[in-house]
Amino acid sequence: MRKNIFTLSFLLVFAFGSVLAQETETEKVIDKPVRSPFESGFLIDNQTTVIHPVNTLEFAIQHKFGTVENGHSDLWGLYASGANIRLGLSYVVANNVQVGIGVTKRNMTTDFNAKWTILEQTRNNTVPLALALYGNIAIDGRDKDQFHEDFKSSNRLSSYAQVIVGRKFSDAISLQTGVSFSHYNLIEMGNYHDKVALHFNGRFKVSPQGSIIFNFDAPLDLDYLDSAENYDNPKPNLSFGYEISTSTHAFQIYMGNSSGLIQQDIIVNNHSKIDMDNFMIGFTITRLWNF
Amino acid sequence: MAFALPQDKKMGGPWEIPAKYKSMKNTFKDDASLLKVGKMLYTKHCKSCHGSKGEGDGPKARSMKTAIPPFNSDKFQAQSDGVIYYQSIIGRDEMPNYEKKIADDEDRWALINYLRTLK
Repeated sequence: MRKNIFTLSFLLVFAFGSVLAQETETEKVIDKPVRSPFESGFLIDNQTTVIHPVNTLEFAIQHKFGTVENGHSDLWGLYASGANIRLGLSYVVANNVQVGIGVTKRNMTTDFNAKWTILEQTRNNTVPLALALYGNIAIDGRDKDQFHEDFKSSNRLSSYAQVIVGRKFSDAISLQTGVSFSHYNLIEMGNYHDKVALHFNGRFKVSPQGSIIFNFDAPLDLDYLDSAENYDNPKPNLSFGYEISTSTHAFQIYMGNSSGLIQQDIIVNNHSKIDMDNFMIGFTITRLWNF
Repeated sequence: MAFALPQDKKMGGPWEIPAKYKSMKNTFKDDASLLKVGKMLYTKHCKSCHGSKGEGDGPKARSMKTAIPPFNSDKFQAQSDGVIYYQSIIGRDEMPNYEKKIADDEDRWALINYLRTLK
């Protein structure tokens, strides 16, 4: 039943998007998409509605250091053990459609992802919002001895699906919200298989190349979805930082309380509450090539 | 990385501009509202080589083999908008092509309008 509801929801979102896209097709000539609602497809450890022009290759380096709790003894986490790193490549295969692959240090996870920006906000508000779908399937690449005795290959899989809605309110302010569904086939004790989360993030541009950026992910405690008893709901992920963008690069440095780098890890496995000691420094760097 | 000293740099030589661009008209010439867009695009895409005032003294200019002529020179400003469009958007050698990075024609002219203000 639950599976059917999700299938139906996705079909509705796709169908709704296609109709709107067709309706705006004829008006695009006079009402162009807004300029750069965000500088990159990444906003800290989340996605934006931005997809670069067709045949653009994006290389992303994402890094989260250790927590700052030990102060100068490990240079506020920069020299701490337990850093997490993701290297990712994505390619824009068609207008507003992107596919990608990434490898994350934690659990040697390989993720295959895709993003489709169904709607772009236009300058004269013919389309007032941007709408994007993002999803990934990730494979836990650890040795099978790390799993339990009844190991099956499907135990390695997790997935994530997200609907993102965004609006550029002015040259300086762009905001996004969204809802996501995360699923792990196999979880550790105390974690949930499925989680729905809400997302809110944005940027405030303070110079032609610089922006203050923030992100907030809130995993929802929905008993009917995953009624595990005596489990603590995962903690929200709060991050804030600064972005510098150039013609081919976006550099984002930030602090946040989740060590995950793929979205389902952030939503399902984050048990670090929002507390200064739990914050860690991180960065995301993207490099673009046009073909 | 090798740095070329100013005295080692060579001028780029005359541009071969196709007739299509020589006769190209700037359809957004009088649109003052685009100056802000032009400045934003210049800062993002051009400033690192051409410098904040277009004098060819940006931080990346040091590693170029070719000298970067200043935008405030009479020689540069005497060129037609179409010629500057070709030089800025199509490019050659060390001057990259910006057709994909600045895909919208309105944005391209906004940039050229901004270059005109760097006198």
